[in-house]
Amino acid sequence: MLETVAQAVINGLLIGGIYALVSIGVTLIFGVVKIVNFAQGEFVMIGMYLSFYLATQFGLDPLLSLFVTMPALFAAGVLIQHFLIRRVLGPNDMPQIFLTFALSLLLLNLALMLFTANYRTVHTSYSDAALHFAGLYVPVAKLIAFVVAMALSGALWVFLHTTDLGKAMRAAAQNRDVATLMGINPNRVFAVAFGAALALAGAAGSLLMPFYSAYPFVGQVFVLMAFVAVVLGTLGNVIGALVASLMMGVAESLGIQFVGADSGLIVVFAMLLLTLALKPTGLGGGRVR
Amino acid sequence: MSRERQTSHRVELPDHGLALSKPQSRRKILQKAGGVIAAGAFGAVPLRGWAADTINIGGLYPTTGSMAQIGVGCVAAAKMAAEMVNEAGGIKSLGGAKLNVIISDIQSDTTVTRTETDRLINGNKLSAIHGCYASALTLIASEVCERAKVPIITGSSSDQLNKGRKYTFTPFARASQFAQAQLQMSKLVSDKPKVAVIFENTAFGTSTSNGLKEQAPGEGVEIVMFEPYSAGFTDASPLINKVKASGANTLFAISYLNDLILIVRTVKQVGLDIAINGGSGGFTMPDFYKNVGTAAEGLQGVAHWNHDVNDDAQKVSERFKQVYGTFAFEYAGSIVAQTFMLADAMERAASADPQKVRDALSTLDASSGYAAMGPGSRVKFGPEGKNVYGRPVGVQWQNGDLVSIFPKEDARAPVLKT
Repeated sequence: MLETVAQAVINGLLIGGIYALVSIGVTLIFGVVKIVNFAQGEFVMIGMYLSFYLATQFGLDPLLSLFVTMPALFAAGVLIQHFLIRRVLGPNDMPQIFLTFALSLLLLNLALMLFTANYRTVHTSYSDAALHFAGLYVPVAKLIAFVVAMALSGALWVFLHTTDLGKAMRAAAQNRDVATLMGINPNRVFAVAFGAALALAGAAGSLLMPFYSAYPFVGQVFVLMAFVAVVLGTLGNVIGALVASLMMGVAESLGIQFVGADSGLIVVFAMLLLTLALKPTGLGGGRVR
Repeated sequence: MSRERQTSHRVELPDHGLALSKPQSRRKILQKAGGVIAAGAFGAVPLRGWAADTINIGGLYPTTGSMAQIGVGCVAAAKMAAEMVNEAGGIKSLGGAKLNVIISDIQSDTTVTRTETDRLINGNKLSAIHGCYASALTLIASEVCERAKVPIITGSSSDQLNKGRKYTFTPFARASQFAQAQLQMSKLVSDKPKVAVIFENTAFGTSTSNGLKEQAPGEGVEIVMFEPYSAGFTDASPLINKVKASGANTLFAISYLNDLILIVRTVKQVGLDIAINGGSGGFTMPDFYKNVGTAAEGLQGVAHWNHDVNDDAQKVSERFKQVYGTFAFEYAGSIVAQTFMLADAMERAASADPQKVRDALSTLDASSGYAAMGPGSRVKFGPEGKNVYGRPVGVQWQNGDLVSIFPKEDARAPVLKT
């Protein structure tokens, strides 16, 4: 029994790490640029296809393709912010919602056209490997993904708290007008934030590739969890999103184990509703960090 | 430099119209030439009396849309099958008449299937039709064929195709037989099979799993876990954790491809000693192994045809490999068999008339040759258009090849216990 619970917690934490990469991106964009990026899942999908083609065409290990997907998606993020998002930032939220939503639909359908709806997988030497100890097991590919995801989240936290650009980002998140008065160039800060968020999505794609299939709709699976995590952990709060993602992974896993295999999401959403009822600002206490 | 280019461009502008007209006229000439050639090949020649020498067979397959991948392979098989009949001398009772397959793309869509079937029948003088591989599409095509009184032969397994139809022929195992075969296969691995059934919570998953549950007591198979799951999950570990706790020694996964891949991989990671049977589905396709690799080793399933069931099937598969690059997958092989069944019927009917072909099909009894190269090795249609000798074949991935392992009569290798 204890073994089963421990295994369920391990499973939950490992998948929670991937949820975290996606949700941190969403929350970063919301916190700094103040828009909801509905297309975040599609960038995970693009990251996966990039990894897939680098692996099948050039024999590059999906984990090493991190060094391609992250800069590529960072650049894409900066360009999207500069040429698209910047133009709709204003008092009215609607154009922003439509823009990112349209971007999501466009990327999804482009992917369907270019890559077809087939499932693509990459088989690596560690795809099926697992560490066994005390009756428990930890899949190697997921463990690597988890460790890298935590390292990237940590790096982002350090960046936000120690560098000038990071501090400027947090300042812009707290109060855009005052930040601008203090000499912070909001466009530059927004571009970096958007780029960093997409780089995280790209990283999620590369980290997923050794154990998950790429297909055009794959982003939708993860973005749903990301949005729940973002709300649960207070919109704009990076630490909150991270903690909430891990919690959700564990809740889902325990739900499947003890409630029913089709009830994993029920537990997650029950947790969300309960949190919103008792602590409407989310677990992060409504603070943007 | 740039100014120079601009001016030169401006100078060229009046010419531009002229320049454009050149390729246009070239295209027109090509179009005319193409038209003449096409008229020669498809229009004028039959009028000169070729019509008696070719017999048109319709082939309804999705070559675009979500089912295109398998559909394209089906078309390759359909063309190869007609070639094989023609190389062997065509339909001898009709003076060696050659088969001509007219393919129609039904675009993986039920509405298109209806209109395309209509169009195919009305626009051509057809003797028979085969298609569509996907049951949902075949059901519609069959309705249209019944009304038009054109026989349709299909590898689709839906039992509904055998209800109140006169022109629909199903020479291979029915869906209801698949569940039984799957249960019997669990006894290959263990004398006391303890089966965990996990199925996605959709219509497909629920109906298939209920079929298994109903037949399990009769087959003496114990089901120790029966669990629906949400299709399209991110992680199969919690589910497999549950399977492990249930103490099952056989796992039936009723899942679409992506979930199945995750399940198979997770079972490997857990190091769980369990036989996995994925039922019937896309994983019997050569592409599946290419995608999943060694994790697919040992995976079992059921199919309506397999490329190693007998010598004729192997010959067909060899030839298909040269055309298409992979072994003949179940639909490809069954299309070749179906084409030979149609040829047999035409031979005996000595007619290309769809009604006479239908009648000859209903009295078909083949137990040798390519027409009978399926599991059961004999084709004879009952009153419902169902092959009374049809049965599914149990298959397993072994060393990158899909091998028949069940029943004994069709088995080409012992079951690989993983």
